[in-house]
Amino acid sequence: MNKTEFVGLDLAYYKEVLDNGLEIYLVPMENKKNYYISYATRFGSDITNFIPVGKDEEVIVPDGIAHFLEHKMFEQESGEDPFTFFSASGTDSNAMTDFDSTQYICSGTKNFKENLEYLLKFVNSPYYTNENVNKEKGIIAEELKMYNDIPDYRLEMRLRECVYKSSPRRVDIGGSVTSIQDITKEDLYLCYENFYNPGNMFVLVVGNFDVDEALTVIKDNTELIDNNGRAKAVDVKENKKVNILEDTIESDINVEKIGIGLKIFNDDKDKLMTSMYLNMLFTCMFGSTSLFRDRVDKLNLLQSFEYDLENYNNIYTLYIMCSSTDINEILKEVRKEFKIKKVKEEDFNRIKKVWIANEVKAYDDVYDVVDRSFRDIIRYGDMVSDRVDKIRNMSLKKLNSMIKTIDFNNTSIVMMKRKEK
Amino acid sequence: MEYIEKDCGAFKLHVYKTNKFRTVNISVVFRRVIKKDEITIRNVLSHMLLQSSKNYKEKRDLAIKVQELYATTLYNNTYRLGNYIFTNYDMEVLNDKYTEEGNLDEAIKYLSEIIFKPDVTNKKFREDKLDIVKTKISNSLNTLKENAPMYSVIRSFETFNSNSPISYRLGGYLEDLDSIDTSKLYKYYDSFINHDLIDIYVVGDVSNDVIKSIKKYFKFRTVKRRRIPYKLDRFRVRSRKLKGTERIDNSQSRISIICPIGKLSDYEEKYVLPIYNYIFGGCTESKLFRNVREKNSLCYSINSVVNKFDNIMMILCGIDKINYDKCITLIEEELQNMRWGKFTKKDLDIAKEYYQTNLDELMESPNTIINNGLVSDLLRLDSLDKRRESIVKVTKNDVIKVAKKIKLDTIFLLEGVGTDE
Repeated sequence: MNKTEFVGLDLAYYKEVLDNGLEIYLVPMENKKNYYISYATRFGSDITNFIPVGKDEEVIVPDGIAHFLEHKMFEQESGEDPFTFFSASGTDSNAMTDFDSTQYICSGTKNFKENLEYLLKFVNSPYYTNENVNKEKGIIAEELKMYNDIPDYRLEMRLRECVYKSSPRRVDIGGSVTSIQDITKEDLYLCYENFYNPGNMFVLVVGNFDVDEALTVIKDNTELIDNNGRAKAVDVKENKKVNILEDTIESDINVEKIGIGLKIFNDDKDKLMTSMYLNMLFTCMFGSTSLFRDRVDKLNLLQSFEYDLENYNNIYTLYIMCSSTDINEILKEVRKEFKIKKVKEEDFNRIKKVWIANEVKAYDDVYDVVDRSFRDIIRYGDMVSDRVDKIRNMSLKKLNSMIKTIDFNNTSIVMMKRKEK
Repeated sequence: MEYIEKDCGAFKLHVYKTNKFRTVNISVVFRRVIKKDEITIRNVLSHMLLQSSKNYKEKRDLAIKVQELYATTLYNNTYRLGNYIFTNYDMEVLNDKYTEEGNLDEAIKYLSEIIFKPDVTNKKFREDKLDIVKTKISNSLNTLKENAPMYSVIRSFETFNSNSPISYRLGGYLEDLDSIDTSKLYKYYDSFINHDLIDIYVVGDVSNDVIKSIKKYFKFRTVKRRRIPYKLDRFRVRSRKLKGTERIDNSQSRISIICPIGKLSDYEEKYVLPIYNYIFGGCTESKLFRNVREKNSLCYSINSVVNKFDNIMMILCGIDKINYDKCITLIEEELQNMRWGKFTKKDLDIAKEYYQTNLDELMESPNTIINNGLVSDLLRLDSLDKRRESIVKVTKNDVIKVAKKIKLDTIFLLEGVGTDE
């Protein structure tokens, strides 16, 4: 086991990679009562086209299959329900599918060893039948509809379709009510066999537990599983330019909304630093202490405002989502901000201070440690132990030179207007 | 964890000394008996105090100040418990150990300025800021329907009993908004500061200096006494079920059911009722989740919640409207099954485990420590140790007795009449 300190955070993690490729990350935290276990695969809705292990031909699976598979993982041949097992010790269990990953989790305060064993066991034993696959379609359809009834969500999905031309990021992680109808048990087994093998998976444990015990349990339960290799995912080539410049949708809303997507191409290999610099830039431009926010606030324009940066291969997309009494004015103000030449030194230094303080806070909370660790393992291939140093060493000069490389006209705009009745 | 309670005359100070967290959390909790026509102005006020203050004239100045205090956060929140309306100011600041000497004191001073040094001249708040807040509140009142789950709950309360505080809209009312002006607002502020009951909670690794700081900065003047009980009077159950419906342009429909709880003993309310709820609809092992969602695929979300202040249980779910009748029948069957004792010893044990895990986790986050402290005071709950001991004793018969006192009264359907895609 390799022990590494998180720089400046009074915390360390242990890492080991088994011969079959399974990665193990353990972050014991003194002072905590609860623990959190995640067993995860690097398989999410981003993968729709792939060449199965040992085959030459590309297959295309229906949209939403990773999420569907996640639901069906809870079906066991014995008829036992994993939720029931965990509940017996008052442990919470759940699963989440993202664009780039699927994880199965349990969290609680008791029965650590048995719960860890069981989590590994149930995710390693798929059981799909025509009957149980069909039964799930009703539940998932209700889940998709639930999200689809949220106007902000519909706006985001339309914006994604405008930003991306072919990337799976333009489709809901769960697929659509129509696409999931096509999913068969054979599809599920195909995906399971190709992406749920140790070389493509990892276990992350955070909180109150014994490192040696955790390691022994994981080895005993997963060491003998063969690594059959991972299927070759076929990368969907995405355009540098946005797909659609402008669109308007109508909805039964009273306050109008606007979504702005800024698509940035950047092929720097260091995606972590690229993301950090872009995030710094957008925090200075649109964060709570930005002059933009000050302006639109005084103009009484803002109802709600959110922004977020997403990375897909060499594409970084800034999403701005806002509801306002005057969305055209907001758009003008955002466009003004897009003419930025450089960031002020005092803003840059203050945000650095904020980021470091936020790391110190986050590495004191089991759930925040899980979130950060999980994201880093999935996106950057490993834990990031020196983020505090990285923040400290960020240079204003580099940030300002990066601004020049961004094409601020490469945007998609979606307006959500009130439906005339 | 050491607990210190100090009667400071005009307010009560509760300090939980613990080295479990790197942050110090401070909550200033205001409360008074809820009056329908005061809800809107109270909301306006709580927003106004975070718009500007005597020494921080713009929102941006406030935002910069909290960033300089090492990413301190400050939120406000207005909510109702039984007969009372509460407004919290919650601050989280890193311990001086991780920042610099005097940072905590400075943060406490800042929090006190937000409360005691509003941006007021000649007993009037600022006109421009009031405009901003009014627009925000009126927009959020106009967009209530966008959050269908919450909206269906509000509408079900209004259907159930339109006179009781249970039906009051916590966001306020449009018709009350117009008449609020800068001097009326100041009058309410004056009454808020001088007549609300106040508690201050502190959680963190603090010395007695923090008590000094709080006494120094928080100069509340008046002593107040409470006369009205926290809990609402029990509701009578109608002899015929009440049904309400409203149509909405969504694809999913929401059901919200209200079941008044009859008179329970102290023991039943504290210990049997939570166990009943876990078994019936409070977790993924519950009867509702198992039978309505898993067995019949009728919905994605379904659960029940118990409110001890209001003496009711609510059942909430999202469905396709064609399944409405079937869903109601199943829910009524499950209510009846509980009364007939159709649950196992295992169900009972699982519920107890959940209860225990929940207790374990109560002390794991500053917010739950504060919340538990507050609610324990209001409802005179037992100590955690006493709770642990008592919960073990709950029997199947106890649960059946409680089940017989929970009766379905009102069913509200927010009927989705939009299209699917």
